[in-house]
Amino acid sequence: MTDIFRSLLVGILLMSLFVSPCFAYSKQEAGMNVTVSWLSDVQGWRPVSELSPYNSNTIFQHMNGAAELYLAFNFRELKTTKFEKHARPSIIVEVYEMASSEDAYGVFTFEQQDPGAGIGQGSEFGGGLLRFWKGRYFVTIFGEEPGVDIEEAILIIGRRIDASIRDSGNPPKIIGYLPDKALTFSKKDAWFLRSHIHLNQRFFVARTNILMLTQDGEAVLARYETKDGRIHVLLVRYPTPDKADAAVASFRNAYMPDAGPSGSVKTENGRWTSAARLNNFAVVVFDAGDESSAINIINATREILKKEGL
Amino acid sequence: MKGKKTITRRDFLKGSAGFLLASSGLATIPCSARAQAKTKVVVIRNVDVLDSNSEIKRNVLQAMLDEAVCTLTSKKETQAAWKSLFVTTDVVGIKTNAWRYLPTPKELEALVHQRIVDVGIPASNIAIDDRGVLDNPVFNKATSLVNVRPARTHHWAGMGSCLKNYIMFVRNPSAYHDEGCSDLGKIWTYPLVKGKTRLNILCALTPQFYGRGANFFDRRYVWPYKGLIVGIDPVAVDAVGAELLLKKRIAHFGDDRALDVQPVHISVADKKYKLGVSDLSRIEIVKLGWQEEVLL
Repeated sequence: MTDIFRSLLVGILLMSLFVSPCFAYSKQEAGMNVTVSWLSDVQGWRPVSELSPYNSNTIFQHMNGAAELYLAFNFRELKTTKFEKHARPSIIVEVYEMASSEDAYGVFTFEQQDPGAGIGQGSEFGGGLLRFWKGRYFVTIFGEEPGVDIEEAILIIGRRIDASIRDSGNPPKIIGYLPDKALTFSKKDAWFLRSHIHLNQRFFVARTNILMLTQDGEAVLARYETKDGRIHVLLVRYPTPDKADAAVASFRNAYMPDAGPSGSVKTENGRWTSAARLNNFAVVVFDAGDESSAINIINATREILKKEGL
Repeated sequence: MKGKKTITRRDFLKGSAGFLLASSGLATIPCSARAQAKTKVVVIRNVDVLDSNSEIKRNVLQAMLDEAVCTLTSKKETQAAWKSLFVTTDVVGIKTNAWRYLPTPKELEALVHQRIVDVGIPASNIAIDDRGVLDNPVFNKATSLVNVRPARTHHWAGMGSCLKNYIMFVRNPSAYHDEGCSDLGKIWTYPLVKGKTRLNILCALTPQFYGRGANFFDRRYVWPYKGLIVGIDPVAVDAVGAELLLKKRIAHFGDDRALDVQPVHISVADKKYKLGVSDLSRIEIVKLGWQEEVLL
């Protein structure tokens, strides 16, 4: 190879690094398949730019307040781009890399509401918005206006991104630690949480973090429908039994200082709240119909943790 | 463990933590508030303000705005009403909202601008801005502000409110995100804005009552309410706006979504920063125009 030819080849490679978004993206993504590119034309929509990266310091430039949800789920990096087609609305693609598959699952399920689309490890599609998670990635693809063609394009981009992600991962185990079949009523919803802000968005408990949730901990909030009304159950895992103890004490002090020795209290709506520590977990039952129902749920949770060796 | 008392769910169940759960039937109105003077908020609607393509009919919107300001100021004539809010030597910043999916309508911005010109204030002393307010020379020397933005839910603050609209008056908006943006009222105490706001307008022509994710816009959750919520007191305007969004969420979803993302910054602006009234029992809501599904 002559020097001139070698220089030309290096020049072309360097140029493609800056000009071709496919190459620029695929070359550097850990967990993404370098041989599969999704940054290419889709039914006439073309990516108009390279992927714009945002980290935890710069994400506010992209989305301001909404960033807090992602940061609380251990956000690492966001890459975003836009697809455009003449005289048609734009498609905005956002690929979030989180610290773990549990975090990606958490972000996805926190706001899940629409029917699945069979993409990634969990997905939904509605109102022109495709959301899915796979491994430690959470992906959203949003069409700025409705239309059959744009919705088809969104799904194609989604499937391509799905194929490009090599990672897979598991949902948080803690989701399975709350009782379901052992009870006479059913669990309607469950959310994986990392912070008290998440908790308050699904079930307001207190303005401040009285349960001492931390980003390296984990929690699940479940909603049960019973013949006596709705019950919420919160299970939080702490690093040590001491920290769980401190959290339960903090909760009792702030939320139920009038509780009796059983750790239960009848609140102002005539329903029962009960809190207990189970090794390095804290469990709180809100709005049970009576005290024994609250304690039954705590006992059922204790049995599950015991079976899991926790 | 002893410490400063925090607001908990039980305070709402007792009815002692503000207005937010009142409409969901979980709280009662504190008796101590009932005897106090009320602050006025005008809710005006017109079924014809949007055409079949959802385009704004400027003349209808103008009539709505004028009637709202007249009612608010208890003046019969439009010019007298606006003149009661400004003087000709004022320098006026119209703080708008440029969020691309649901911005303050240009038509509404222009109408507010025109009415301020009609007061006798030179156009050179009036500016409309959102994200550039800190570097806008008119805003920097403003003696008066008009705060005009769309009503919508907000991922972190609970509501895209009049109070929240001033977050662009600080260089570090993310510093105000703690506890669901509860301290947004603090911004209103800074010299650049303190005591300058003459009028707050929540544009409820097509409010958004729910959203998700970074873009947060979902056309399924925007509805043609065809209204404006207007007041002098930003806290009261926001309290009414939040109540509207809450009622719409309950109507749409059932009570499942009624408690999501409480806009605590509204009650904090009242209780901590004394910027206005958040207790709905102390707000006189004057409802004008179209009343079908008014929700308030």
